[in-house]
Parts: sequence; structure tokens; C-alpha cells
Amino acid sequence: MADILLHLANGFVDCLTPLNLAMLFIGIVLGLLIGVLPGLTLVMGVALALPFTYRLGVTPSIVLLTAIYVSGTYGGAFTAILFRIPGEPIDVPMLWDGYTMARKGKPAKALGWTLVAALGGGLLAAVIMVVLTHPLARFALRFSSPEYFAVLLFGLTSVVALGRGSLGNALISLAAGMLIATVGTDETYGAYRFTFGSRVLADGIEFLVVMVGVYGIGEVLARLEKGFTGRPIERVANARTELPTLREISAIKSMFLRSSLLGTVIGLIPGAGATIASFVSYGLEAQFGKRKKEMGTGVAEGIVAPQAAATASVGGALVPLLALGIPGSGATAVILGAFMLHGIQPGPQVLATSSAIVYAVFASLFLGLALMCLLGYFAIQPLVKILDFPEAAVSAYVMMLCFVGALSIRNNIVDLWLMIGFGVIGYLFEKFKFPVAPLVLGVILGPLAEGAFMNSMISFGNDWTIFFTRPIAGTIMVFTFAMLMLPFVQQWRARRVAAA
Amino acid sequence: MDSSAIRSSLPYFVGLAVAALLYFLVRQIEYAERPGMLGPDFWPTAAILLMATVCVFEILRAFAGMRSQAQGIAEVLETDDSAPPALTYPRTLVGGIVLVVVYAVVVDVIGFLLSTFLFLVAFMYLGRYRNHAVIWIFSTGAILLSALIFMRFAYVSLPRGWPPFDAVTDFVRIMLGG
Repeated sequence: MADILLHLANGFVDCLTPLNLAMLFIGIVLGLLIGVLPGLTLVMGVALALPFTYRLGVTPSIVLLTAIYVSGTYGGAFTAILFRIPGEPIDVPMLWDGYTMARKGKPAKALGWTLVAALGGGLLAAVIMVVLTHPLARFALRFSSPEYFAVLLFGLTSVVALGRGSLGNALISLAAGMLIATVGTDETYGAYRFTFGSRVLADGIEFLVVMVGVYGIGEVLARLEKGFTGRPIERVANARTELPTLREISAIKSMFLRSSLLGTVIGLIPGAGATIASFVSYGLEAQFGKRKKEMGTGVAEGIVAPQAAATASVGGALVPLLALGIPGSGATAVILGAFMLHGIQPGPQVLATSSAIVYAVFASLFLGLALMCLLGYFAIQPLVKILDFPEAAVSAYVMMLCFVGALSIRNNIVDLWLMIGFGVIGYLFEKFKFPVAPLVLGVILGPLAEGAFMNSMISFGNDWTIFFTRPIAGTIMVFTFAMLMLPFVQQWRARRVAAA
Repeated sequence: MDSSAIRSSLPYFVGLAVAALLYFLVRQIEYAERPGMLGPDFWPTAAILLMATVCVFEILRAFAGMRSQAQGIAEVLETDDSAPPALTYPRTLVGGIVLVVVYAVVVDVIGFLLSTFLFLVAFMYLGRYRNHAVIWIFSTGAILLSALIFMRFAYVSLPRGWPPFDAVTDFVRIMLGG
């Protein structure tokens, strides 16, 4: 433990360099703006920032992206509470009690509860993250290729099972992502796969092209089809934050702790990100909480439960990313991509080889949460003012950032064409209700899963049973199967409820 | 035949066709076989089979009239009834796609700065925004800011354009002290 604290102290020192602090500040501001603007999603924001990290070192890059990720879970609450516009799906539960509290004449109080929930939930998750990552990574050092394959498969299936859209569509999306990742030169045989004689394609398709395409261009096209027509905004003369008293916080401390822990645990599960944490936490409070009958009428519990869980899920999601190298969400997939761009593969080895970077990221999360809340408290007026900005202009700028991202990868126009292609695919996926997260995870995790699978087959003489007979791999496989069954159980229960 | 079943299964027919095409391509992968080892075609074949199997299942499900699907957990949670159904503008969308394609065609020729400036202006008009002053000022500002960030500080190599258009890029660069 003393060792961890020492590393963390060094992480704080690393984090306090002018460049890292600047990245932290920029990331927090960008995350809050992305959260506020309904046209921009959290993952899109993190993906769009990725190309700009090329010239940065690995630590400032990860600090920037993590800061966007964490503050993106908070900024959307402002507009949900004040204008009934959820900036992100995460913020939908905020409409039920946050907006209601605001309508009852207490918008400042609702914003105060949000701030306290984000800070408390985020800090608790950050502590758990620091404590848990090292032991988990140490445990993962015992993994061989079958265990890695099992873990990767678990990550891929849980993204499918816990995401949006039908299970079938999610599986198709995942398969498409895995196929995109196979384009290029095979590492074992040096054989060309789906390259069509193109030298650029022989180097493979950069995951960044896919991510920026589907999340950036795809989402802008989807909004363009809707004519950039957001909901009309009610004017709030004086947006400000009023913090709850210590007595008020103390009255809900157990519920606060429960929601934060729940958010952290949900964040730990690959595929279950901030949105699920937010909804599940609200749902649990509505079913089992002390004031369950008052939920939806503008009570503090209805604000704290989703917000604390959503922000806590960030710390939770960083644990499997750093300890196992498995991103649990679109945003952590982009952060994994940033690590890989700088030649670092997160996983059990990273704490041994690059612990300074990991602890700087940990420290940045603590500092970022504090900064996020300070900005949220003092800068709420200019932040919500951004909604006055025309959506067409914001979207045009997003498109421009996408173009820069594509052109800066390999200085090749082919990447721009590919990105436009993936943008159209992203739009079509959205249109026909195929979730894009499995596609992106398939692109990133597909090659890792293929490598682990091939190594297992070579090492164990093509014995398929190895994934089920080794204790750790077998256990993870059982969880994988259970995860895949989850939507069917959900469907069966819904049918039973409907029949009753 | 039920037209709604055909309509709802159309994406899966497309998926199946894509899977068939990819399977054909996977068979063309050339490599020297190694005894006792799976080839480079194994993994893509597995992904293609997964895609094809799910597509076939969904097509059968659509024609069997089974309406309810197993949904991802987030889908079940996220249903927001309060959102009114949105109007759509398909022509605007097609215009947007054409604009992006035109951009990709001309960016090498007229350079990043000029093509992006024109793109920004055209995209905002296409997006039914009509405040002319804001459109032109925003586009100019965005281009100058981008030039400053990407060409002056981040040193991202962006297309200069062919003569005579490269003069625009050079002019902006000199203006920014590059």
C-alpha cells in the first residue's frame, strides 16, 4: 500500500507539469462543452481529440482524453436540469428529478446536488481504481494466451449484450468490426487479406479512421438528416449552483455510497459504461430506496443516484483498461488507442514497465474531478451559453476536425476516403439500429483476440478445449456465456411481465 | 409475401450478400500452408460465419413473424418516451454526403485551407442556417485558427494544393508568421 501511495505521489508531481496541467484544463473544458452540446457525444469528443495527441507525449495525451471522458459525464446534467435537454443518454435520468426540482424553483440546488454527486462518486471510484488496478494486474500476470483470449471474448460479448440495439444487430456489428481489423498483412504468414492490391490497405486500416468516421461523420450526418433541429430552449436568467449543506449530504450518505460503488462496479464490467450505471442506479433507488415513492418528484436521491454512478463508472472502466488492456466502452477504447499510438500496450505489464504514466493518469483523475467541479461551480453561465451557438456551425467544425484527423494519420488521402466511407456506414448503422460500439470494439480488440487465439492454438496443438479446461479461462468462458444469455433472460422476463 | 417482413429483413439480406462476397475473397488469400497451424483465413472466416449466421437467423425471424427481439440492456433502459418524433430531411442528408465526397476530391487540388473554408460555408448553408455574417466570419475564423494550430504549432502535414491554389496556403502561412 505504501508503495502505491508513493507511486501516486509521484503521479501527482508528474501531473503538475505545465503541459499536463494545460491538457487537464483543456480536457475538462472540452468535456464539459461536449456534455452541454446535445449534438456532440462523449465518445465522439474523445475520438476527435485523439488525432491531436500525435505530437504530444503519452502522459499528456492520456490526461487530455481521460479529462474529456470524466467531465463529459457531468456537463450534460446542466442542460438536462435547466433546459430539459440531456446532452448525453447518461443524462436522461436527470430529467426525472433534476429537471423537476428545477421546475419547482430550485435549479441552483439541483445543480449543487449534481456537483456533489459527481465529485463524491468520482473520487470514491478513483480511490478504488488506484487500490484495485495493481492487484488485478498482478493477478493477470498469471494469464497465458487462453486466458487472454477468454478475457477478450468476455469483453467483446459483454459489449454486445449490454449495449444498445438488438443482440443480432450488435453481433453483426461486432463481426463487421473484426473483419475490418483483418484488412492488411497477416502477422503470422505475411499474407495479404482484403487489400485489393492497395499498398495503403496492406498496412491495414487505422482504427482511428474507423472511430472518427463512425462517431464523428456518422453522427453529424444523422443530425443533418434531422435538419439540426434541437428542442427550443427555455431561457434561464441566472444559472448558478447552490451546494447542499453537510446535514443534507449526511442524510443520504448511505445512498450516496451505494450509488458510487454501484457505478464503479458497473464501470468495471466491459461494455457497461456510464449510461447503464446512471440508469441502473436510478432504477435501484426507485425500487428499493428509502424515498422510492417520491422518486420523479424532484428529490435529491433522483439526482445523486444517476450522477454519482455515472461519474464513478469512469474510474471503474479505467481498471480493466489499465490492468488487463481491455476497454470496456467506446471512450476507453479510444484511450486504449492513444496508448497504442504511443507504442504502449496497456495490460499487466504496463504497471511494471510504465508505472509512472499509469500513476500520472490516476493523479490526473483526482485533479480533474476537483477542477471539473470548480469549473462547474464558477463557469456554469458561460458553459450553458454555448447552447446559443448554431448547431450547423458546431457540426461543420466537427466535420473539419474529422478531416484533419484523417489527413494527419498517414498523410494519405486514402484515409480520408476510408473515413468518409466509415462515416456513411456509421450513419447507416444508426439509421437501421445497428449499434456502432461493437464495431469499434471489434476493430480494436479483434486483432488482440485473433493473436491470443492463434497463439493458444499453436501452443496447445489446436486443442479447442483448452479454453474450457483451464480454471481461469473456463470460469471467464462461463461468464461470457452468461453475459450472452442476459438479453434473452431480460426478454423472457419482459414477456412474463406482459403476460401477467 | 409480407412486405413488412421483406422491408425489415432487407439489411440482413445486404449483410448476407456482404458475407458471401467476403467469403469469396477470403478463399483467394494466398499463403504457404504450415502443417498443424491454422491459416490467415481462419479468423476472417470465423467472423464471416458469425455475420452470415446472424443474418440468416434474423431473416428467418422476420419471415416467421417474430416481432420481439432480444435487446441490449442499454436499449431497454434508455427508452425516452418524452422525445417527439423528429422530421427528417433526406435531401439535406444526400447533399451532405455529396459535399463530403466533393471535399475529398478537391482537397488535394485546392489545398486544405481553401477547400475546408468552402466546405464550412457550404455545410452551414446546407444545414439551413441563414445568418450570413456568422457563417462567413465563423468559417474564416475557424480556418485561421486551424491554420495556426495545425500548421504553426502541431505541424500536421495538410494538403497545400496544386498551383495556383498553393499560393493561398502559403499566404496564410506567411500571415501567421510561419
